[in-house]
Amino acid sequence: MKRLTRLFFLFSSLLACLGTAWQAGAQEYGGGPIVFIKPVRAVIFEHRVHLGKNLTCQSCHPEIFAKKAGQVEENDDFTMASFRQGKYCGRCHDGTTAFSVDTDCTWCHIGVQGHKHLEEYELGIK
Amino acid sequence: MKSTASNKAGMLNNRGKVSLKERRRFLGLGLKITGAFLGGSLLSLVPAESARSELLGASVIGTFPYQPHYAMLIYKDRCIDCERCLDACAQTNNVPSYGYRITILNRKKNIAAASKMIREFLPVLCNQCNRPPCVRVCPTRATYKDKTNGIVLINDSLCIGCKACMTACPYNARYYDRNSESVDKCDFCFRRRLQNGVTTPACVEVCPADAMFFGDLSDQNGDFYKRLHAPGQNILVLRPESGSMPNVFYLSGLHGGSKMRAPE
Repeated sequence: MKRLTRLFFLFSSLLACLGTAWQAGAQEYGGGPIVFIKPVRAVIFEHRVHLGKNLTCQSCHPEIFAKKAGQVEENDDFTMASFRQGKYCGRCHDGTTAFSVDTDCTWCHIGVQGHKHLEEYELGIK
Repeated sequence: MKSTASNKAGMLNNRGKVSLKERRRFLGLGLKITGAFLGGSLLSLVPAESARSELLGASVIGTFPYQPHYAMLIYKDRCIDCERCLDACAQTNNVPSYGYRITILNRKKNIAAASKMIREFLPVLCNQCNRPPCVRVCPTRATYKDKTNGIVLINDSLCIGCKACMTACPYNARYYDRNSESVDKCDFCFRRRLQNGVTTPACVEVCPADAMFFGDLSDQNGDFYKRLHAPGQNILVLRPESGSMPNVFYLSGLHGGSKMRAPE
């Protein structure tokens, strides 16, 4: 019995260690996907996809996007029209650096149903 | 004679068993039947034009094209499932929370991209078919095709709520409204907007991605007619094999006409 408890203790401590390590890794790139619900629901941004393509934190923060997730939603000009003028996402997504904002809509726009799916299956129920 | 008699006796003795000959005959029949069914399902794989010719027995209701001939055009790659059309539709037509006049089908897109979340969307609404299966099955003729503009409408007071039209519809575009105790469906906002002089349905007006276009197909000089008849496009309809001749057309075209790029 004593042995079993010791084993259990060891195992749980190992799990806890792994958990914190994972969280630290996630914190490094903002902690999971960011979902914008304004002006249309819903647009996904994943640090995981963007980092490592000659991009560092300083490429976007704090010049293009404020460091607080979802802060940019408050701006009135956070629209597709201003992306086409090279603001926000449009800084890179202009057709030469990365795919244009006029193509591949569903790569970022996951929609209402995609958002629900994300909340239920990918992020876990809150 | 004797042999047949003994044969008969043998058969009587082996009543549970089936003779080899009988079995072969039965299997042959089965193969023929499955063959016929296969032929039927193979028919649905042939292009729309030849499938249509199989259904010439069913007639187009009214005079075709109608004046005006209302139709819709949906760029399927542009839909981003913001569901503004659903909200606008519900608001305009008093659609209850359990009902729908327009749905957006979605599925995960299987492309080798970095993000797992890429989906594709397809708005589906009543196709206002030229050969509507729902109209043919209605026992009280509550649902009918308007003689002048070809929109499939429902007479609420005649509808008995048998839901036959709901099963007949190839597009699952109808729902049962518990308040009015009748079936309800998209009518291109005819009763709430077109009748009152507004030129577009609510869903088309609110679409932020220009995914939906509405217009009159009988007007050959109109913008809508030209858009649909522009050369080099692959126009699709939903379930062409049902022979319903739908009036909602799907085009795959992003802004600027560029195609989906291969993932890096």
